[in-house]
Amino acid sequence: MPSSVPGELPNRFPQSGSGARSRGVSTSVPARDRAASSIPLLGSELSVLFRRRRTWAMLLALAAIPVLIAVAVRLSSSVPSGRGPAFLDRISQNGLFVAVTAMLVSVPLFLPLTIGVVAGDTIAGEASLGTLRYLLVAPAGRVRLLLVKYAGALVFCVAAPVTVALAGAAIGASLFPIGPVTLLSGDVVQPPEAAVRLVLIAAYLAVSLAGLSAIGLFLSTLTVVPVGAMAATVVLSVVSQVLDQLPQLEWLHPWLFSHYWLGFGDLLRQPVLWDSFGSNALLQAGYVAVFGALAYGRFVTKDVLS
Amino acid sequence: MSRAWLRWMPAVAVPAVIAAGVLAGSIPARAGNPLPEKTPAQVLVMLGGHTISTLSGTVEQTSELGLPELPSTAPSSGPASAGGAASIAELLTGQHTARVFIDGPSKARVQVVDRLAERDVIRRDTELWFYSSRDNSAAHLTLPSFARDLPLAEPPKAPMPPDQAPAPMPGLPKPELRAPDLPLPPVPAPDMPIPVPVPMPEYSVPTPEDIATRLLAAVDSSTQVTVGPDVEVAGRAAYNLLLEPRTQGTLVGRVAIAVDGETGLPLRVTVTARDQAEPAFQIGFTSLSLAKPDDSLFTFAPPPGATVKELQLPGARPWPVTSGFPGSPGMVVTPDAAAAEIYSRTGPSHMMPAMARPSVTGTGWETVLGFPAAPAGQGSALSESLLKDPFLAQAAVVVPGGRLLSTTLVNVLITDDGRIFVGMVPAERLQAAAGAVAK
Repeated sequence: MPSSVPGELPNRFPQSGSGARSRGVSTSVPARDRAASSIPLLGSELSVLFRRRRTWAMLLALAAIPVLIAVAVRLSSSVPSGRGPAFLDRISQNGLFVAVTAMLVSVPLFLPLTIGVVAGDTIAGEASLGTLRYLLVAPAGRVRLLLVKYAGALVFCVAAPVTVALAGAAIGASLFPIGPVTLLSGDVVQPPEAAVRLVLIAAYLAVSLAGLSAIGLFLSTLTVVPVGAMAATVVLSVVSQVLDQLPQLEWLHPWLFSHYWLGFGDLLRQPVLWDSFGSNALLQAGYVAVFGALAYGRFVTKDVLS
Repeated sequence: MSRAWLRWMPAVAVPAVIAAGVLAGSIPARAGNPLPEKTPAQVLVMLGGHTISTLSGTVEQTSELGLPELPSTAPSSGPASAGGAASIAELLTGQHTARVFIDGPSKARVQVVDRLAERDVIRRDTELWFYSSRDNSAAHLTLPSFARDLPLAEPPKAPMPPDQAPAPMPGLPKPELRAPDLPLPPVPAPDMPIPVPVPMPEYSVPTPEDIATRLLAAVDSSTQVTVGPDVEVAGRAAYNLLLEPRTQGTLVGRVAIAVDGETGLPLRVTVTARDQAEPAFQIGFTSLSLAKPDDSLFTFAPPPGATVKELQLPGARPWPVTSGFPGSPGMVVTPDAAAAEIYSRTGPSHMMPAMARPSVTGTGWETVLGFPAAPAGQGSALSESLLKDPFLAQAAVVVPGGRLLSTTLVNVLITDDGRIFVGMVPAERLQAAAGAVAK
């Protein structure tokens, strides 16, 4: 390997030769082998992603949100109901609401911010490091690389809300009593059932961020400057949320990828209202399909110079 | 490079497929097996005679009444924190979703689904609970025991605004309503357009067909009743009963009631203003299951930490205003009903006695109700309190002789001397009525 390759690159090939070979000569490798060799590729992608200090810094920042909320509520006097973010007034009665409140607070900006960084970095990051061309010795490897990159971003989409939920539940349990949880409908469920609802909310958020990840992936194929793709992704998520607030654009709202982001409250009803989960999943699937196809079109026709 | 365009094919094809799918989905699917032809009277009989007593479904209400748009509510602030007319306007404008669960006449639950919040009304026998998640407050009301064995609020109850839950909804107990699905103009005016076919105890019980035929004959002079092409509501084929005022002097263009072809359950009510393409008001099921809901849904105990308020039924019998919104499935909208309904929701309920004797001008769809300014000051206090409400003050426009609260379906004129005129008529007619009554 050329000496110019940054130190990160060796991480991508845990079993030194095998990954490189499958990438290099994949045109002649049968489809099944190619699928099988994608797994070590994904593994190496994930290990690079989660060995980065940046990724850990982002996850720690996300985990700090519930901690800040819990400490603030703990130190202050009781929160008058109806003020501040929803559920904030419930925290002092039940620690599990720290997780819910933290997820609610992080939806508009913090989660899209971290997803933007990860998704915007996927292709453009490799290009800026000069490692992209080594990953793409053969043109047929591009689709697989794109898929693996997107899968890595999706794993982060799961990890981010789960981090918030876990940190929230942990800090909530240590600072506040844990007891039966009052749902939006006024019904009360026991902590195990409430934990299931928390997992469902995290899953809802993970699904919600899938569309944004696809957008970030596409933007990342457009440029060799990762910061540009990251910023553009985050800006798009903010623009989408602003548009969602304008009543004049009501016809557009169901088509905005952020439209159902706050709909996870429906998982806190009794019985669970699945409509928004379904609509959200369908919408995100649409975004993944459209921007996935755009990213494919761009990436396979792109002249990779770096 | 010549194959580069091929690589972009998916990027073109995927949006095209999605667009095609959306278009195909938006074209109303014709029922493969069209319903057998029925006359309006037969559809009315179905409507009045349905025996559905258990259901769970989602009801959606949309209104384009032309009221000023309220600022989109942030998750933290919302209808519960806004008071007075603004919260009513909030329910009358925009879009609302409610889940409805009904099991027999005495068990019901309505959940008004707000973003990150919910307002519930739960009834089991004589126990009535209101709950608002926004401020974690509950209110309890014990219904009089005789309400239990009466056919209370037949299936599709409209999403009620429990809304802070201070006031019991007017008319919820409906003590003397024996034929809940028949149109009941709530204001017993002398020249009522529709004779009320309420079977009295001593009355020989008429067949539903009789009632339907008589009702149709009675409304024929003012309203054209037809059955339109079948519609599909909540995935069910339904008859579309169309009521069109014969007069030009009303704001209402058409009222459409979708009646389930299988069970006769009213599925959707759409009110369209004159010369408008989009419905001004629509409430209907978006999903519906006739299975018996889980019994535990009707059990409610105030959650820990909730503030609980014990409510008393008001001593005076509330107006026999049918529960729910004007045009909730299950009732036929008459002009008086809708006007009075809107009015009763605009005025605080304890002011009801003040407007017990409205003057009536015009008939049928052109009815104008006038509420005098009571000498005791009650009436003027009412109109003053109406105008003091910041939302109404903003919505009302100054016109010659008073202030006008104008919507696409109903106009409300509050004259300078405190009288109030309500009607589903153009504003000029209200002003004319105000002038005529003054003389």
